[in-house]
Amino acid sequence: MNKRINKRIKTLYVIWYREVLIYLRNGVKFFTSIFLPILILVFLGTGLKTMLPSSILNYDFVQFFFPGILGLSISIMAVSSTMSIVWDREFGFLKEILISPISRSDIILGKILGATTTALIQGILIMLIIPYLGLDFSKWLFIKVIFVILLVSYGMAALGVFLVSRLKRMESFSIVSQIIIAPMAFLSGAFFPLKNAPAWMIKMAYYNPLAYGIDALRWVTLSESLAKEEISLLTTHSLFLCLIVLLAFNFVITFLSVRVFNKSVY
Amino acid sequence: MENLSVEGVEQIEKTQNNTSEVVQVENLKKRYKNITALDGVSFSVKKGEVFGLLGPNGAGKTTTINILCTLSQPNSGQAYVNGYDVVRQPAAVRDSIGLVFQETILDSHLTAEENLYLHAMLYGVSRKEYLERKRDLLKFCELWGKRKAKVETFSGGMKRRLELVRALIHNPQVLFLDEPTIGLDPQTRKKIWDYIFSLRKKKNITIFLTTQYLSEAENCDRVAILDHGVVVSLDSPENLKRMIGEDIISFRTEDNQVAEQEFREKFPKFPIKRVGKELRVKVNNGDKFLPILVKAVTPRIISMELRRPTLEDVFLEITGRKIREDNKEINKEEEKFDLSSLFSIFGSLNKKDE
Repeated sequence: MNKRINKRIKTLYVIWYREVLIYLRNGVKFFTSIFLPILILVFLGTGLKTMLPSSILNYDFVQFFFPGILGLSISIMAVSSTMSIVWDREFGFLKEILISPISRSDIILGKILGATTTALIQGILIMLIIPYLGLDFSKWLFIKVIFVILLVSYGMAALGVFLVSRLKRMESFSIVSQIIIAPMAFLSGAFFPLKNAPAWMIKMAYYNPLAYGIDALRWVTLSESLAKEEISLLTTHSLFLCLIVLLAFNFVITFLSVRVFNKSVY
Repeated sequence: MENLSVEGVEQIEKTQNNTSEVVQVENLKKRYKNITALDGVSFSVKKGEVFGLLGPNGAGKTTTINILCTLSQPNSGQAYVNGYDVVRQPAAVRDSIGLVFQETILDSHLTAEENLYLHAMLYGVSRKEYLERKRDLLKFCELWGKRKAKVETFSGGMKRRLELVRALIHNPQVLFLDEPTIGLDPQTRKKIWDYIFSLRKKKNITIFLTTQYLSEAENCDRVAILDHGVVVSLDSPENLKRMIGEDIISFRTEDNQVAEQEFREKFPKFPIKRVGKELRVKVNNGDKFLPILVKAVTPRIISMELRRPTLEDVFLEITGRKIREDNKEINKEEEKFDLSSLFSIFGSLNKKDE
């Protein structure tokens, strides 16, 4: 029994290792994955801030903006990392993995964990700019944020696997990102607080797992900078509800993606 | 190398006494939507043998290999590899086989060594064995100096050799090679075969291969010819060639029709066939028959050739066409967008496990 678990961990490790190796090896991807979010934070954040007179807000706009951009970046990173499945299928390497004696559910778990790791690395790098944004931050908070990042990016990675595991061509990914990922991002509350949005939008956002992820990130990252009442003005759900929904979503989507991948062909 | 081959021959003889069959296929059938790929294929491969599966494009070679290595499942029939059922014990089958596919399936982002390492990990090879075999095999295939280079910098022949090395890292009992030399230039092809055959002698493993190049199949111990999803003949290349006669004379004249007519009248015993612009005659003593033939035919002879039969002739005889004549591949309908596959994930969730 012990041997079996050992073997499973080893196979998970191989798939994970390759995923992370490719991410780190690809210098351009690595650089752009951090560069764009920082660009958005610095330029777009500062620009949007000037539109809002500071007298209305009792918080800094960048404080509001940061958790959203962090959440979106890691989500997009997680989903696009799972594209390696389609890449591997198109260039044949998926066959090498599928004909090895490891089980398909392990392949999928390894892929999800690999994508989660790449998102986590990106999240940590983005967090390095926190001191320059005027947010208060302790080590303990850092760990809490990492925990939430893991929750969010795992779910998005599993969702990515679920969506791409049947795709045969790379170009199809743009359809996935336009039809599914883009609406999720716009309805996540990353760019504006959903609380003040029209009712139909709020209703739709109730079914958006990413909205819970962004809310959770906002709760945690701002917890040492703003008072609870102030954060609750910026979020739709309570932290507790967010964490429950994220956990439940992760559980279900893992199950679904394993199921879909089991039926996919090389 | 000389020592190696002597040792190899002894080993092969040893295993031939042991009649255990490594691959066993019984009445295999596979249908795709509207094409029958395999229509009752049966054969078996003995231990230590080099077994060739020949056939034109679309004959079912790749389908057979895919079923044997558990990548696709047959509609009916049985297949066993190393005694494991390919449908019921896929993991055990995969553990005991090495594969080289038609297309290159290396990870080109990674180095040669990293590719081998991932493979060894996937197959649970211990570190010590991995290092040992890696060194051995890379040196054998003359890739040792390139082990730290990224695969994207490799030539086609080098990639193929690396795939061979990779397929052997977990010490499989059977090596499946699906068109291992396709798309390579003749020199590289020859070299790849040299590696394959000396590896076979060195490691004494069973090799199961498919190829379109019939000259390459001459080296197989036994050959099965597959056509329209059925095995049409199975024997050693020598026996197959013996089956169709001794010598072949092919000649072209200015008027083939008249020449054919005359030939039939004068030598009713010998079969004559028109193949393209040539006339083809099968005789026993070709060298002596040539002058007789020249006198017997009145239309002026443009060219004339005498040769021993090859597997190509066997193939022509059995299937009625040249192996590489019809290169029409079965084209799957190209979808413009992949939306259907995206939505099919929702469909597949409703279906119960088959």
